[in-house]
Amino acid sequence: MAPLLEVREVSFKYPQALILNRISFSIDPGEVFCLLGPNGCGKTTLLDCILGWLKPYEGQVLINGSPISRMSAPQIARQVAYVPQMHQKTFPYLVRDIVLMGRASFIGPFDVPSEEDVAIAEKALDMVGISRLKDRPYTQLSGGEGQLVMVARALAQNSPVIVMDEPTAHLDYGHELVILETVVELVKQTGLAVLMATHVPNHVYYFENQGVKPRAALLKNTQITSLGKPSEVLSEQNLGELYNIRTRIINCALDDGGQLKQIVPISTINTNKGGNSLENI
Amino acid sequence: MLVIAAPFLVILVSLLIGRYPVDIATVLNILGCRLTMQPCYIEDIYQTVVWDIRLPRAILGAMVGGCLAISGAAFQGLFRNPLVSSGILGVSSGAGFGAALAIILFHQVAAIYTFAFLFGILAVVLSYMISRVYNGTPTIMLVLGGVIVSSVFSALLSLAKYLADPTNELPAIVFWLMGSLASARYSDIMIAGIPMLIGVAGLILIRWRINVLSMGDREAHSLGLNVTINKGIVIACATLATAGAVCVSGIIGWVGLVIPHIGRMLVGNDNRILIPVSFSLGATFLVIVDDFGRILTGSEIPLGILTAILGGPFFVYLLKKTKGGGW
Repeated sequence: MAPLLEVREVSFKYPQALILNRISFSIDPGEVFCLLGPNGCGKTTLLDCILGWLKPYEGQVLINGSPISRMSAPQIARQVAYVPQMHQKTFPYLVRDIVLMGRASFIGPFDVPSEEDVAIAEKALDMVGISRLKDRPYTQLSGGEGQLVMVARALAQNSPVIVMDEPTAHLDYGHELVILETVVELVKQTGLAVLMATHVPNHVYYFENQGVKPRAALLKNTQITSLGKPSEVLSEQNLGELYNIRTRIINCALDDGGQLKQIVPISTINTNKGGNSLENI
Repeated sequence: MLVIAAPFLVILVSLLIGRYPVDIATVLNILGCRLTMQPCYIEDIYQTVVWDIRLPRAILGAMVGGCLAISGAAFQGLFRNPLVSSGILGVSSGAGFGAALAIILFHQVAAIYTFAFLFGILAVVLSYMISRVYNGTPTIMLVLGGVIVSSVFSALLSLAKYLADPTNELPAIVFWLMGSLASARYSDIMIAGIPMLIGVAGLILIRWRINVLSMGDREAHSLGLNVTINKGIVIACATLATAGAVCVSGIIGWVGLVIPHIGRMLVGNDNRILIPVSFSLGATFLVIVDDFGRILTGSEIPLGILTAILGGPFFVYLLKKTKGGGW
């Protein structure tokens, strides 16, 4: 059986530069797939290819075995939803109107949302736990609440895959955790697949600690350099090569007997001077 | 409800207003017998004033005001910018130049309408083509295209004014640019009404999608909209409505910028409601302003001047009263 989402040998280039070189991976239902890599490595470009917003010049993105290059925008939207890194707010729409926009791919060009669409949007708000905010202008919400609205809007699309581009990038410590908890809950409850670009390796360990079996991929210099289980991918060695930093993975026992795994940064590696390289850790 | 009824009420009131006094019974009588195609037993002078002069002018005013406001609201959503008005893609500048050209070349009303309309459309087509240097039509490139095209047509308009005969052509151009409904006849409504109705109907039909488009191109795409096609429909409809309005009325500023904001304060930002309400408010506003223009002084004050003088303070009052509407 074809995987839910498959990225097959995808290459993308701008006129001046190759951004992605033969990227391949696939995602199954109920999986959290985390994409890590330094700033400017092409994470967002890859996500844009998966959303059908950019066209790869080689390779294909397939959903349930069919290539999205042959699908229309509404067909893609029914399969893949999107939570942006930072949503540019313009007009003070009410929260419920924003979430209702998740239904766009089901509503005809000259139609307006039906009662059923409203009910689905309300359910999405409820699943994310922000029903209380539905009549507020979304411009007045905090960053974390605003991001939850974006997650609810993606849920209203009823798609089997949600793509998230650094969904916690601008959030404070607490709200970051709220978003991650919401993702864990949704994946466990609905069997949704989540593809998430992130700068924080500990997000992957967080998902593992919560028992959702994440996978991670490292993207550097146009290619995926490592892909697999967190313990294989997010090693001290790999992160050292990816970010030029020294790190240490630590395990600690929780009060309830569980194990908590985290990775902590120690220092940057100055490659010019030598001497301070990985072997010396 | 009140918002829907308002344009009809002000049209009725404007039939009573003017320097030739007509009482309401006479007006209702004339309307009654004309609308039911019965013979009228009222003096001809009253029938002419009410049915042939005031009524077409009020109807045309309502349509023009509604069209400018509805396209302004649609463009504000499309461009994700509350400071945008119906002229953003150069339709007014194009129409202004077209009208001036027709005045100089032909001295004919029919030619002025045609040229104003066609050059208005041409300006938008040019802006749209400029924006397509990349794939798709990025909003910023559309705005830039509009700025370029507007300034070129403004320069051409200045050139036309410079070359025009200062005794008769130049005043005609200047007066046209200030906007007026004084020459309104039923034939104007019939001809210019077609593009206006098509544009307005299109915008009302697609109004919910303007919400989605206002999320930005990438998000609108990921929500399931073909961004290029939907943007194209909104631009085409708003342009038809605006060009149809401008070609019969001349340049009337302010309505396309401020009426949508008054709508936002009254009913919120959901385009499902805002788009039709903007039409209604624009229609009401322009008919009222035109009534003032007719009665304030001995001769008529051009509409474009009055819309700004009356609209500005009213807008400030609303801003204060509604505390800005959640911006």
